[in-house]
Amino acid sequence: MVNVMKGVLVECDPAMKQFLLHLDEKLAFGRKFIIQDLDESHLFISTDIVEVLQARVDELMDRISFPLHEKDA
Amino acid sequence: MGPPKKYKKERGAGDKFAKKRRAEDEAFTQLVEDNDSMDNASESDGVPGAASKNAETNDENINTDEYGAKDYRAQMQLRADHTNRPLWVAPNGHVFLESFSPVYKHAHDFLIAISEPVCRPEHIHEYKLTAYSLYAAVSVGLQTHDIVEYLKRLSKTSIPEGILEFIRLCTLSYGKVKLVLKHNKYFIESPHPEVLQKLLKDPVIQKCRLIRSEAEGEAFIQGTLDGKAITQFGTKLPTATDKPAEETPTTSTAAAAPGTDGAAAAVPDDITDFYEKIDKEEEDEDEANLKTVSFEVAQEKIELIQKRCIEIEHPLLAEYDFRNDTVNQDINIDLKPAAVLRPYQEKSLRKMFGNGRARSGVIVLPCGAGKSLVGVTACCTVRKRALVLCNSGVSVEQWKQQFKMWSTADDSMICRFTSEAKDKPMGCGILVTTYSMITHTQKRSWEAEQTMRWLQEQEWGIMVLDEVHTIPAKMFRRVLTIVQSHCKLGLTATLLREDDKIADLNFLIGPKLYEANWLELQKKGYIARVQCAEVWCPMSPEFYREYLTTKTSKKMLLYVMNPSKFRSCQFLIKYHEQRGDKTIVFSDNVFALKHYAIKMNKPFIYGPTSQNERIQILQNFKFNAKVNTIFVSKVADTSFDLPEANVLIQISSHGGSRRQEAQRLGRILRAKKGAIAEEYNAFFYTLVSQDTMEMSYSRKRQRFLVNQGYSYKVITHLKGMDTSTELMYNTQEEQGQLLQLVLSASDLDCEDERVPGEPGYRPGGSGTTKRTGALSSMSGGDDAIYYEHRRKNTGSVHPLFKKFRG
Repeated sequence: MVNVMKGVLVECDPAMKQFLLHLDEKLAFGRKFIIQDLDESHLFISTDIVEVLQARVDELMDRISFPLHEKDA
Repeated sequence: MGPPKKYKKERGAGDKFAKKRRAEDEAFTQLVEDNDSMDNASESDGVPGAASKNAETNDENINTDEYGAKDYRAQMQLRADHTNRPLWVAPNGHVFLESFSPVYKHAHDFLIAISEPVCRPEHIHEYKLTAYSLYAAVSVGLQTHDIVEYLKRLSKTSIPEGILEFIRLCTLSYGKVKLVLKHNKYFIESPHPEVLQKLLKDPVIQKCRLIRSEAEGEAFIQGTLDGKAITQFGTKLPTATDKPAEETPTTSTAAAAPGTDGAAAAVPDDITDFYEKIDKEEEDEDEANLKTVSFEVAQEKIELIQKRCIEIEHPLLAEYDFRNDTVNQDINIDLKPAAVLRPYQEKSLRKMFGNGRARSGVIVLPCGAGKSLVGVTACCTVRKRALVLCNSGVSVEQWKQQFKMWSTADDSMICRFTSEAKDKPMGCGILVTTYSMITHTQKRSWEAEQTMRWLQEQEWGIMVLDEVHTIPAKMFRRVLTIVQSHCKLGLTATLLREDDKIADLNFLIGPKLYEANWLELQKKGYIARVQCAEVWCPMSPEFYREYLTTKTSKKMLLYVMNPSKFRSCQFLIKYHEQRGDKTIVFSDNVFALKHYAIKMNKPFIYGPTSQNERIQILQNFKFNAKVNTIFVSKVADTSFDLPEANVLIQISSHGGSRRQEAQRLGRILRAKKGAIAEEYNAFFYTLVSQDTMEMSYSRKRQRFLVNQGYSYKVITHLKGMDTSTELMYNTQEEQGQLLQLVLSASDLDCEDERVPGEPGYRPGGSGTTKRTGALSSMSGGDDAIYYEHRRKNTGSVHPLFKKFRG
């Protein structure tokens, strides 16, 4: 039996890869989404998760970036 | 039933205070506990109702576009000659000034007087009109119609009606009445008889009035404010005495004009004319004998009167006619001839002694710009008993030194009153002590008790409050109840607090008299030119992995100990040592501090380091060419004066504290030799671990300096670091070992260092003393301090700012 899975190649820096692995392990989206861990900066992940994942990474970025332009915040 | 209840309540508050005292000694931790225990009723005491007025809400129903820009066209008319005028005044009280305009200089001086600077980068400056700033404007002598008129002339557009209303509201009742101490009697004085009539109709005030003779009856004492006032600061060369007063404004106008040549011709005459007129008025006020009326009030009822006047919206401005005070002895100090004031120092003092009397207020100057000289000069001008309050024992010593350096005061005149040094106070002219010493509520030694009693009995001529932003309003009120002083001068570099309680100081001490522009001082070479840089250090994968999975307190240690941060730090130190620079490395975290320092074989100073060792290290740093780098914890944030240092590297810091960032920058701000340089002569690096909370903290911290016009350069990659083989933690194994070390560190190591407060410090505890503040911060409670400043809706972020990397 041949299993065919659609996937996306993700290239990122090593630290970000750790974040993805972390999400995968913690089952943050309810299931595992990494198909193959290729090397230090490449991952192969399933296609259907990409959108949610992007939102999640955005969220991380928003959390650690403080808006400078809002002085009175 | 009333009185006993009140008594109980007071005691309760006192006890609470005693427990909190230790925490309040500390500059950076006090912000937490203020919030919970503050009694709201007492908080608003002494702050007039108008202070709560706010122009910010005037434009709530204005259309904003998708970028947040507001459409004010309906409210403001653009004027035909708008290109010649430098200002926009928005209906919400914000004022924008073009700093490249030929009339910038005029507008700038004026705006500084009437509004608060919000943000001052190179080209466009933003100011804000607030109730406090207008109060300050009135108290230094500006009149409502002057403010409105001049604002109209400077503005590119018509001034929105709401703003005019706001200005009138805030200024009309302020500054009309003064409380003057003259010939040892208290008078309520005003140039406006009708205002005094109004005050006297108030039954409370009526009771306080002191009528000496029957004949005097209901009539006011007619008086003239006799001028001849231009105060001389210290002993100066005879030629320099009167000149600077008139020179400052005229030269500035002159300087502005030729610089811009043809453009100057385009300046509408009305602007310059009016500017000169205002200027002259300011000077004239001293010369011309202003007609005033006054009535005397009973001394014991002063406090009652002050409170009542605030309630009826006529806050009293306290002025001290120190020259005619004969009861309090003069003390014999003068400035040394060698002490020369810089123009901005003189300007700030001129605001204080503008009419030959001493006003109370706050002066804001950047660190390293010579705040203490201003303080010393003020004391020498008043020449009455002076009380200097500062934060720590080290600064007490420094103030003493400053007095000896700039003035003729000697050891016998200066008395220190700290837990370590208790000089005999009797007969001295200047007492230097700490806030916590004064507000101490527990039992004191007999000796200290004597000094305190003496201190309370004295009538102080002037009280200088150093680093005035650090003291909570509550503590300050305590100081005021203990010490009787005729005038108060607050000094600070950063008039800001994360809890925004700073505004209350305006009414507790006095209005802000002067605020310097950092960039201008930098351009003129009074303070160093600093290149600020944020260095991004990528987290190593192993460390980031742990960062994602561990609890909060460990997280902090992980990003501080990030091997690539260590390498960047080492690289920068090497680089600057080769250039012959002197470097200070700051780390709030002691575990990291020790590890970095020991690994790199550099001396370090932190809380438990003994006084002797500290002095030794600092001396070596100053004079020994082999010691070019030292590591320090936050004990060095404020109190250490290290004029040699010109490079500062920050590896860990206290969350998002803007004040700490500014204070640290202050360590390298002292003007360097050969100062007027185009190139940067000082460097301020912050090392930040990428993708961690540190990024966010770093941004928060930068806000204040960015608003002062500093720009931060982001360095994502240090050139030459990869090729350098001498750096440590090169290999995977070494990094792995470091990780193990971090993981095995105890919880205590994760904590920031707590700086022990001066008197309550128990040596036995040696840095491990804990208190509630510390515990809450360990469990991430620190966040709570900043929490209220987080934005409520994340939805309205400008698309350009949403993500900083795609």
